[in-house]
Amino acid sequence: MARLISQSDWATPMIVAVSLGVLISLFNPAFLSTFNIQVLLEAVSINVLIALSQMVIIAIGQMNLSVGALGGLAAVIFAGLMEVFGLPPIVAGALALGVGLAGGFLNGLLIGLTGISAFVITLATLSIFKGLNLAITQAQPFYEIPDAVKHFGNATLFGPFPIIFVPAALIVVLLVVFFNRLPVGRWLLAVGGNAHSAELSGISTAKTVVIAHAISGFLAACAGVLLVARLQLGQPTIGDDWLIMSFAAPIIGGAILAGGHVSTVATVFGVLIVAQITQALVLFHIDPFFVQVVLGLMILAAVSVNQWRELRMQRAGQE
Amino acid sequence: MSKIAFETRSVSKFFPGVKALQGVSMQMRGGSIHALLGENGAGKSTLIKLITGVYRPDEGQLFAGAEPVNFTRPHDAIAAGVGVVHQERNLIPRFSVAENMALSQLADRTIAPIDYAALNEQAEPWLDMLGLDVEPATQVSRLSVAQMQMVEIAKALSQQTRVLLLDEPTASLTPMESKALFDVLHRLRDDGVSMLFVSHKLEEVKEICDTVSVLRDGVNAGENIAMDNLERQDLIRLMIGREQNDAKPRHGRSGEQSVALELKDVSTSLGHKGINLEVKRHEIVGLYGLVGAGRTELAKAIMGAAAITEGEVLRDGQTVEIDNPTDALHGHRIGYVSENRKDEGLILEHSVLENAGITIWRKSANRLGWLTGASVKKRTVPFLEKLAVKTPSLNQTVGNLSGGNQQKIAMAKWLAAGVKVLIVDEPTVGIDVKSKAYLHELLHELANDGTAVLLITSDLPEMISLADRILVMDEFVIKGDVKNTGDYKTMSQSVMEHIHHTEDELRRAKAS
Repeated sequence: MARLISQSDWATPMIVAVSLGVLISLFNPAFLSTFNIQVLLEAVSINVLIALSQMVIIAIGQMNLSVGALGGLAAVIFAGLMEVFGLPPIVAGALALGVGLAGGFLNGLLIGLTGISAFVITLATLSIFKGLNLAITQAQPFYEIPDAVKHFGNATLFGPFPIIFVPAALIVVLLVVFFNRLPVGRWLLAVGGNAHSAELSGISTAKTVVIAHAISGFLAACAGVLLVARLQLGQPTIGDDWLIMSFAAPIIGGAILAGGHVSTVATVFGVLIVAQITQALVLFHIDPFFVQVVLGLMILAAVSVNQWRELRMQRAGQE
Repeated sequence: MSKIAFETRSVSKFFPGVKALQGVSMQMRGGSIHALLGENGAGKSTLIKLITGVYRPDEGQLFAGAEPVNFTRPHDAIAAGVGVVHQERNLIPRFSVAENMALSQLADRTIAPIDYAALNEQAEPWLDMLGLDVEPATQVSRLSVAQMQMVEIAKALSQQTRVLLLDEPTASLTPMESKALFDVLHRLRDDGVSMLFVSHKLEEVKEICDTVSVLRDGVNAGENIAMDNLERQDLIRLMIGREQNDAKPRHGRSGEQSVALELKDVSTSLGHKGINLEVKRHEIVGLYGLVGAGRTELAKAIMGAAAITEGEVLRDGQTVEIDNPTDALHGHRIGYVSENRKDEGLILEHSVLENAGITIWRKSANRLGWLTGASVKKRTVPFLEKLAVKTPSLNQTVGNLSGGNQQKIAMAKWLAAGVKVLIVDEPTVGIDVKSKAYLHELLHELANDGTAVLLITSDLPEMISLADRILVMDEFVIKGDVKNTGDYKTMSQSVMEHIHHTEDELRRAKAS
């Protein structure tokens, strides 16, 4: 059992996340207050979706720069449909998620068909999605959010558990099953691990790329919709600051940027680590702008550890 | 004679401007191993791609047994019982052995959950059959190169393969591992599997193949000839259209020369312990060992790419500290030709000239620090010519040249830099006989001109025809120093005695 834990991908991030929590609460017991845990879980619920949206693309060895722009577009469409057309939240939400899915599908199609790098394609679509967002909103937020949505975004179930934690947890479980048990999930990892070999075994790289980007777009839209509910307004700036977060958590979770290896659970712990540090800075009255600096340092530390591990594994493989 | 398992009848394949194959016929029979020989660029890879459904023939017809077949994608070939073990590793490193073997099944399903226990059970009999002592649940990245090769064969067989193509299966195997592979191939032959064996090592081909077809410049130079009637020289004549003399063993003239490079009790951060080694001017010293013995790693430590933790490195008798490869080249005139020319030796997207000139940019820059094409050309072209690099122009992208020519360019760039000590790592892996002979001659000439050469190779015949002395390395330690007598039999015996290979392998198999 001990060996199982030490060999799993999520053991290290889990230990770091837990010890961080213990450490912070020792210095400042307020960290464990119901309110604080609620705020923490709210942040984690949304950030997990952002991180997973990127992780799915890292799995195939690509990157998606348009995660934030697409999530932001879905967010303002969700809010706009409710305010301007008075659509019921369920319908507006479904359409917004559909936009995310379609946007991701478009990314995947362009990459799969042209063979141009995902970096360039998603850089271009980032600009397109953001432009559409600004054209729709004229850079003004949508304020008229129905009470039901506000409630959904801010109420708790038992004690500190926010309702938005439920869809996030559900998606995490689905992705764990997807990547570990479903052939289509394994396609993503196979293509990321050795695209040539996957192709020779009959796995279509183009199809796999499209599937991965569609899922990525859908997850980004989920994050955007939940964020509207939580902020209680349709901000056109939603998504602008997602990019670093989206890479940081999977990397801290041990994902390999070359593709072929990601861990959903470890990414969740990666998000938790980032959220805890962010909160600790607030609790200890440190300038919140330092969060960015700390995030950058954590990415550097995580890649170094990943690299060291990879080298060790190669060495072990040779012996 | 047994039935025909697979046949190509007058197949041709044209690419814009190139006739890659023209009217090539070949018959593979059940329960027999058929060799496919040819120099690099003769069309072997194209033929394999036709048989495995990667390409479609422009003319001619493929037959599986007596049935004409038309493959439009690799899957069709697999379905027709044609499997292939490729030259480059084709496994997903993070997947288990069993999952890799079942990958084409997974390609046909989308969301029906995978039953790993069932995959493991499926894989087990094939692994047993090949005598591969590996758990099906083991992650492939934890296996040795030889084990991965076996997994690929198991994978092919598990797909009901009756026609198995092996594209240079022994390129990265040690002699012992190759022998184990041949035992497996013999057993498969007895079971009636038809195999196509592609290799540049003619000794192997003679040893295990029953028939041979030879390609030269895209056409048949020999078709389904029984191996019994052929000598090594005959094979070479078929491949290159003329006789070729084996490089003769060197008779070293290095006895009284000064020592150019010496290591004294060197330990490295990579795990080498107490390495003593000296290479004199005019001398070729071979460093022999199995894959993973630490030879390449030692070369990298000498070049300053890894730290030397203990001991001394002496260059022309002076203690030196080499911090990085730039320092090795410019400060100490030591060059390293990587075994991995695609990743480390060359920049494939760049031109011939840019690659060959990269080591001398610093020297060729004029007083203002500008680099002119003419000054680089002046210093590199003589060497490119000397090596007979075949390229349409100096501006040709290196990635489009054949493996042999790429290797020549990788060497040329060090020659241009005027190194005094040259470390050559597996110089002829995947290179055809003719280019190989050129490279051997070249190494001889270099040594005769005074360069100290440290040669790393896993190809024992090559080692014996080139080296003056052979150092045997195992597990990051030098186990012995054998003077080269030039006699293959006694040499291979004394080299092997220093390795105690069988015991090691047993131990390794148990550990993994």
